[in-house]
Amino acid sequence: MKKYWILIIITVGFCINGFAQTYVTKNGMIRIYSEAPLEKIEAVNRQVNTALLVPTGDFVFKVLIKSFNFEKALMQEHFNENYLESDKYPEATFLGKITNIKDINFTKEGIYPATVEGKLTIHGQTHPVKQNGTLEIKNGAVTAKSKFNILLSDYNISIPNTVVNKISKSIEVTVEVMMTKLN
Amino acid sequence: MKRWIKIILGLAVLGIAAAFLIYHFVINKPHPDFEKIKPNYSLNARAFYNEFKTSKENAHKLYNGKVIEITGKLARIESADTLTIAVFVFNQGMFGDEGIRCTMLKKFSAEAKKLKPDGIIRIKGYCTGFNETDVIMEHCSLIY
Repeated sequence: MKKYWILIIITVGFCINGFAQTYVTKNGMIRIYSEAPLEKIEAVNRQVNTALLVPTGDFVFKVLIKSFNFEKALMQEHFNENYLESDKYPEATFLGKITNIKDINFTKEGIYPATVEGKLTIHGQTHPVKQNGTLEIKNGAVTAKSKFNILLSDYNISIPNTVVNKISKSIEVTVEVMMTKLN
Repeated sequence: MKRWIKIILGLAVLGIAAAFLIYHFVINKPHPDFEKIKPNYSLNARAFYNEFKTSKENAHKLYNGKVIEITGKLARIESADTLTIAVFVFNQGMFGDEGIRCTMLKKFSAEAKKLKPDGIIRIKGYCTGFNETDVIMEHCSLIY
């Protein structure tokens, strides 16, 4: 009887390992964009660390603030020193879940709508977020895409009075991360 | 020409010159030339990574936003979109390889792609921090 128990444990363990999958990338992309009377603000970060666990739907990404690259050096300096204070708050994180993960067939190529719920931490402030996006399954890779707006005031990012009417109070965030299965 | 007109014209020329200089050297100043910047620190790549792994806060204070020169064994060169990334691996974590990831300046992409894994290389770049798995360096150049 004992050997049957061992067999059952090995089989269950194999099944758990067989079904549990982790998709990761270290080269995800996040773009921030805002257009206001003073000027257009645009920056890209292509070193976004991302992981998606299937079938739980746990989804996490981590971004280093100093890895955002701007076209204008002065804008990058202000972003790091005055707005995001990247020496004090060097990273932004998202910890959450794809809530409709069961509707996504990871074995069938296609583009699936996805809803992400979790907590976004920027500038040391954490806020709950719920956003829609897509998951594309193609050639064994999973590409998550989403576009949403965040309010600077939610994350305690203050705009100096002198430019308060010339800088947008919200910023558009575009996320595009292509993850491959972890071996 | 009357004296006051000369003064006004002179001030106008000075004002235009000042506006041009402010626009060129302050508002539209170029990004630093990371290839030419003298590094703040020259370190062994593994020791540099270990400092972040063992004491992230201290390492952040020391190295974030600084230009660092590292020497170590290259694991591989990765390409992502238009980026070329030199990867040093020093640990295996929950999400795979962990170490130092160096995004090369475009000028060094072609040279970096010719590098062989396991070779000892020297790279200089701008440290943007540690994301729990890797130390990230941007605007990197190869040093011979």
